[in-house]
Amino acid sequence: MEYFEPKSLREAVSLLERYGEGARVLAGGTDVLVDMRFKEEPPCLINLKRIPNLSYIRENDGNLLIGPLTTIREIETSALVRERFPVLWGASHQFASLQIRNTATIGGNLGRASPAGEMLAPLLVLEATLRAAFADGEKTIGLDSFFIGPGKSALGAHGLVSEIQVPRPPRESRGVYLKHAVRGAMDIAIVGVAIQLTPDSERRTVKDARIGLGAAAPTPIRARKAEALLRGKAFEDERIREVAKTAAGESKPITDHRGSAEYRTWIVEVLTRRGLNLAWEQTESIDD
Amino acid sequence: MIEISLTVNGKARRASLEPSMSLMDFLRATLGYKGVKFCCNTGECGACTILLNGKLVNSCVVLAADAAGASILTVEGLAQSGKLHPIQQAFVDAGAVQCGYCTPGFIMAAKHLLDVNPHPTAEEIREGISGNICRCTGYAKIIKAIRMAAQPSGGARP
Repeated sequence: MEYFEPKSLREAVSLLERYGEGARVLAGGTDVLVDMRFKEEPPCLINLKRIPNLSYIRENDGNLLIGPLTTIREIETSALVRERFPVLWGASHQFASLQIRNTATIGGNLGRASPAGEMLAPLLVLEATLRAAFADGEKTIGLDSFFIGPGKSALGAHGLVSEIQVPRPPRESRGVYLKHAVRGAMDIAIVGVAIQLTPDSERRTVKDARIGLGAAAPTPIRARKAEALLRGKAFEDERIREVAKTAAGESKPITDHRGSAEYRTWIVEVLTRRGLNLAWEQTESIDD
Repeated sequence: MIEISLTVNGKARRASLEPSMSLMDFLRATLGYKGVKFCCNTGECGACTILLNGKLVNSCVVLAADAAGASILTVEGLAQSGKLHPIQQAFVDAGAVQCGYCTPGFIMAAKHLLDVNPHPTAEEIREGISGNICRCTGYAKIIKAIRMAAQPSGGARP
């Protein structure tokens, strides 16, 4: 196995350009090392962690900027993320274990592009944007066009996430992340649901509703039909049930050892309903 | 092969390794710290838990090369001059050890927990060890041991 420790993103992308499909990129390693042990050693391993200035959580005009090598633990312990981006914080808090959170990175979670990636449905709901580095320059990619299929993203075999940009949600909005798993945070989600609700100024109707589903389709998705049912309408029990059912209808889960497709569809409905109720309750205490 | 220097349990160590090697294999096989247990090898069970620069990690999913220049603490670094660390003693006294295979990992998690939160609630203890699996004890005595270890300095909160 060839092994490289590039000292810059430019060096890293040019290595990727050279080795292409034969290269595995290493950020934290919590996925790549398991693949190396149980699948196969890649012909070439590119360790990104010697590249400086890729681990940070910054605020720019209220928007959040996160470096790709920022660990999930760093995100979990950030007061800025906890207070202003609670749906993302919720995912970081339910991400595997402390041991894993200290090692895994947000860039790795994105690069792996698993439909069950904990941080992904929340980033979709937050309508994050990625800066990605390629050999021929940088590109900006909206998260809604980043995921192509299970394990496949717009990065392809040659790109690297260089920054995650998260616009600040409206002050009055509230977000939650609910994860269904057997062994709490440790297990990969059977289903993950990310919700963000923005009430109107009188808290009578839902100005904006965003529902993100993880582990419920070939990629993390937004349940847009469900969102449309709620947007501009009053928050009422009957409507919420309808919205949750619609979200379940938009999901396309698989059957695997964690759960059947039918079970997952049901859980999408349950968690969507719970998440909507929880987020709406939280909009009651708007005191910024 | 590459060569790295690091500190393990206060001792300076230097050795060669294959770049693909995990920190767990490096600590166990190359440096001889068998207290770092080989179990799931996928970062799910916590048996290989160590402290790396003060952070609790599963050494099986950390690349050994990434420990260059690091300060590592394994269970072997806890006892001083033949005397067990209070956490180790508490595990013995509480009857929290059956087969013993998960124990070093739990002790490292407990050490980290009590270092950052000396008086944890029962819920905080559970959360603090939630990255570790035990197949024997049912966890009750492990939690009791951690409460006992927290006590001398003022006690665990209810």
